[in-house]
Amino acid sequence: MQQTIKLVASIVLVGLIFSGCGVATKNIDIHNDKEASAVMGLDYRDFQGAAQTMVQSLVSSGAVNKPGGGRYVLVVSRIINDTMQHIDTDQLVKKIRVSLLRSGKVVVTTAVGANGAEDKMAMNSRKDLRNHEEFNQKTVAAKGQMIAPDLSLSGKIIQRNITVDRSTQQVEYYFQMSLTDINTGLAFWEDEKVIGKRGSNASAAW
Amino acid sequence: MKYIFISIFSLLLFSGCNKDPQPDAIVEIVDSCSNSSIVVSDIKGRKKQDGFMQAQVTGSNLTSSYFKVEYKVVWLDENDFTIDTILSNWTDMPAYPNQPFYINVTSPNAKAESFRLYLKKEGKIICNKQLN
Repeated sequence: MQQTIKLVASIVLVGLIFSGCGVATKNIDIHNDKEASAVMGLDYRDFQGAAQTMVQSLVSSGAVNKPGGGRYVLVVSRIINDTMQHIDTDQLVKKIRVSLLRSGKVVVTTAVGANGAEDKMAMNSRKDLRNHEEFNQKTVAAKGQMIAPDLSLSGKIIQRNITVDRSTQQVEYYFQMSLTDINTGLAFWEDEKVIGKRGSNASAAW
Repeated sequence: MKYIFISIFSLLLFSGCNKDPQPDAIVEIVDSCSNSSIVVSDIKGRKKQDGFMQAQVTGSNLTSSYFKVEYKVVWLDENDFTIDTILSNWTDMPAYPNQPFYINVTSPNAKAESFRLYLKKEGKIICNKQLN
């Protein structure tokens, strides 16, 4: 009997110890995430802040106001990730695209891109279905209907690591973006947002 | 008499050509949004020629310390419905000791007709004003 009690007590004790070690998983409140301290790498808060700065700069610059009214057609060119982190640059670009689209001043083409069509179906459905006897040709997109882009959005994210002292490092991130008029090759708008972080050398910034 | 008619006619003609190029300031208030360390002296809004609305807030740091203020501008359409945008997220900005600070923001689209400003310091709301 005494052995049984000891066994149960041991199991309970071990259970209590291990339950204390685990960090409970919970959803982040992305609208008010002050609880967690900053991280040395880039997180969603940094992308949100960078996108907000870029959109505010773009709409206030007037660069997306087409003379005579109407909307510009925008293509997203290359956004170079020159950091040590595996970043999908769409984390930044998508927020900017959505905001520009909602501004009513810009439409984005997905039929062309720096690495081919972003939405390959837009082009393939024409090539594959044209003259295909199984498809009603009146419903197939006609030739010469696609709209070429007026503006190109390009950019770069740069990372610089600096050793402050033996225990501290500083990481600087530069978000740089340009909006180029494709017709003239002139940049209508450019901006940069810098995010700096300082922390322990033990933290990895990748 | 003939010259007077010609002068008036010319004035009317040329005033017709001059399509007001200046955006109109649609709202301007001086309000008492303040606490012991911050005072907001001016909140302005105007509709620009491109249809976008611009808001400018003037405040002052009354202390001899540097701190950050956080602000958020919620944009409203003609029916007072909010416009969903990443531009309405909380943003911080520096307030230097004994100096004024300016918040200058542009609406996300041309549907914005008014806005509501929130200003806070250290998590406490100091200003919560809607301009119509």
